[in-house]
Amino acid sequence: MAIIRSKELVHEYIRRDEEGNVESIQLALDHVNLNVEPGQFISILGHNGSGKSTFAKHINALLTPSEGTIWVDEMNTSDDEYTFAVRQTAGMVFQNPDNQIIASVVEEDVAFGPENIGVPTEQIVERVDKSLKMVGMTKYKAHSPNKLSGGQKQRVAIAGVMAMEPKCIILDEPTAMLDPDGRADVLRAVHTLNREKGITVILITHYMEEVVDSDYVYVMEKGKVFMEGKPREIFKDVELLKEHSLDVPQVTLLAHELRKAGLDLPECVLTRKELVDALTQLGMKKAAAAQTTEKPAAEADVDKKNVLILDHVSYKYSPNTAYEVKALDDVNLSIKEGEFIGIIGHTGSGKSTLVQHLNGLEKATEGTIYYNGQDIYDKDFDIRDLRTQVGMVFQYPEHQLFETTVFKDVQYGPKNQGLDEKEQIKRAYEALGLVKLPEELYLASPFELSGGQKRRAAIAGVIAMKPAVLILDEPTAGLDPKGRDDILGLISDMHEKRKDTVILVSHSMEDVANYVDRIIVMDAGRPAFDGTPKEVFAHYKELEKMGLAAPQVTYVMNDLKEMGYDVDASATTVSEATESILKACK
Amino acid sequence: MLREITLGQYYPAESVLHSLDPRVKLFSTLVFIITLFSADNAVLFAIVLLSMIGIIRLSHVPFSFMVKGLKAIVVLLIIAGLFNLFLTPGKTLVSFWILSISDVGLKNAVLMTSRMILLIVGTSIMTLTTTPNQLTDGLEKSLGFMKKFNVPVHEISMMMSIALRFIPILIEETDKIMKAQMARGADFESGGLITKAKNMVPLLVPLFVSAFRRANDLSLAMEARCYNGGEGRTKMHPLKYNSLDQRAYICVALYIILFFAVKVIL
Repeated sequence: MAIIRSKELVHEYIRRDEEGNVESIQLALDHVNLNVEPGQFISILGHNGSGKSTFAKHINALLTPSEGTIWVDEMNTSDDEYTFAVRQTAGMVFQNPDNQIIASVVEEDVAFGPENIGVPTEQIVERVDKSLKMVGMTKYKAHSPNKLSGGQKQRVAIAGVMAMEPKCIILDEPTAMLDPDGRADVLRAVHTLNREKGITVILITHYMEEVVDSDYVYVMEKGKVFMEGKPREIFKDVELLKEHSLDVPQVTLLAHELRKAGLDLPECVLTRKELVDALTQLGMKKAAAAQTTEKPAAEADVDKKNVLILDHVSYKYSPNTAYEVKALDDVNLSIKEGEFIGIIGHTGSGKSTLVQHLNGLEKATEGTIYYNGQDIYDKDFDIRDLRTQVGMVFQYPEHQLFETTVFKDVQYGPKNQGLDEKEQIKRAYEALGLVKLPEELYLASPFELSGGQKRRAAIAGVIAMKPAVLILDEPTAGLDPKGRDDILGLISDMHEKRKDTVILVSHSMEDVANYVDRIIVMDAGRPAFDGTPKEVFAHYKELEKMGLAAPQVTYVMNDLKEMGYDVDASATTVSEATESILKACK
Repeated sequence: MLREITLGQYYPAESVLHSLDPRVKLFSTLVFIITLFSADNAVLFAIVLLSMIGIIRLSHVPFSFMVKGLKAIVVLLIIAGLFNLFLTPGKTLVSFWILSISDVGLKNAVLMTSRMILLIVGTSIMTLTTTPNQLTDGLEKSLGFMKKFNVPVHEISMMMSIALRFIPILIEETDKIMKAQMARGADFESGGLITKAKNMVPLLVPLFVSAFRRANDLSLAMEARCYNGGEGRTKMHPLKYNSLDQRAYICVALYIILFFAVKVIL
């Protein structure tokens, strides 16, 4: 008997004007048929706006179908009588960790659900303890949620659902706002629930790697289920997935490319081990002699001048109090003109604090910073001017949009620079052109744009000041794979055109490896590694200890190398790896 | 910069006062205020003062913390004191230039300022020893009778506790938006009052938008967890009186009897 069953499910978002007349109808779900058996681990994939979140809300009776029916544990969700029973049977975890925690103490938040359904006091205490233990958060029982990391907050949210003793848990992009560590913790917790407690899991995500272990996958687009099957069946069709700009795990992609080039590999490879095993069957060339990875010759950009120099910079939060935290610890760095740099580190490694020093938003407690040879802490130094020279795009920059039109918002920076109106307009126009925002949107309200468009508009707002150095703090956070590729491609294009210095802060190695020429890895307030992507990823074992993962291909190549095959272990991208493996197979 | 503001003046410590039921503390504070304002002679005033000093000793909160609350109203205290001192008619004690101090004025000024000081210190003992959450719980429970008059007591206290949860988040958010706009050349410091107010627009608009977005998300999350108002809800930590609270109530009762007995006698 299916625990969740939907039949020809349709949902329409109807927009009405002030008189209540229908303005527009948007078809969010278009005849969806779906069947989930108890105890299964189901994934639903799709882009933003594909209807996957709308579907999730139907399972929890937060939304009811416009047409068709959905049954949860044989209860029709459209029947008001069952609303609370449905919500108790199928609990839901949302994307934003902050916006779903209600109480100011962890255990009280977990108790919120049981309290609502009238569970007697003694049982609540028991349930709360049990749920916190399931997700490994017992230690934080008496903590304030504000002091927890994103991944920990999400686990509290999961515990909050588990305390209601549901049969099924729906997770709506639970990892979209987390760093790799937090993502791994949350997924581990969810898998444990599924395996050990037999809870049915419905995971909604746009990360392909997360669905590899599920029993069944649905891929949605434009409100329809356009692919469904076991992960292996889904990932077989790499071309089709790519056509719909869905991400494919790097290993699968590599295997696909090699197969295309004529190697005899199985049709669908999902894990690193599978690929390595399959490749070793092919009889690749072994390396002639123990070859040491030769160091690439240092690039000849000695003549390029240093834009920014950090000289023994340290920074402490709340100095001389009990809360003192050393966020930066004696950092020495120099950044050259025209460089494209990636700064990588896990949350709390000091990477965001570091970049906020570069334009003087935070002031170092010790040490100093030079911009074009000038000490920025000098009393004659114009710090407001520095901020226009070193442009900074914050995380979720769309949250800073405020004007009535996109164009005016972009004009805000140049206006603050004291430029005359004609120049302001020119700058805004250029900047919007650079971020490739369609012209018909220039006069729209920034709040009407889609997520990706908003982000472009916000980036334009910084570029309009024509900074010589552009810093972007996690510019891809919360975007789906397509949005992410678009933004990264855009940043790289702009770098080509403007020849400026770009600093990209990220926790995703795979994103950064494809674009930047230099990577700085931050760990515990210090730069741990600094060099070209190849040099840095050669330390993949140390990176893993820091909670960072090198791109999957790096692991595959190193595995092969260790087995004595003649491949280039420093390959960081799929195309490099393909080339190297093919060479070894000849 | 905004990170440094600490909200809710709760001072964590282990003391008898910290472990009391919030309802006891609310009731005692009310009694304290009533007696403070009905103390009209030196003996009664001494009773109030001495019991307050005793309670401060019990609270294990450093005295400097209590005085902190006074800083904000020091100007108000001085003005009120001066007005009382000079502008109350009565038998003139001293006079110079156009100002004169009357006996009634002197008495009023002293009484008034000391009452104000005691009021602030007395109520801050309650806030310093009770977490904001306990306070909302206590209020919800003690004002429960008002539900009969259609006052949405549960809803109000739920709103208060959600506000308490989100204030730190919104402060952090303000800090972030402020930095983001400063990175675009915004200036929040210089200029006159009107320019300053105008310059706040780029900060306030995003902040409101974000607050609404969060409210929307939160209401969905609450609904998904079967929230349906106060009806039929149970509590994980229901307020329950124990022997300590009973003893505290007896002390408060004795205090009331003592106070009003003295008042009647004198």
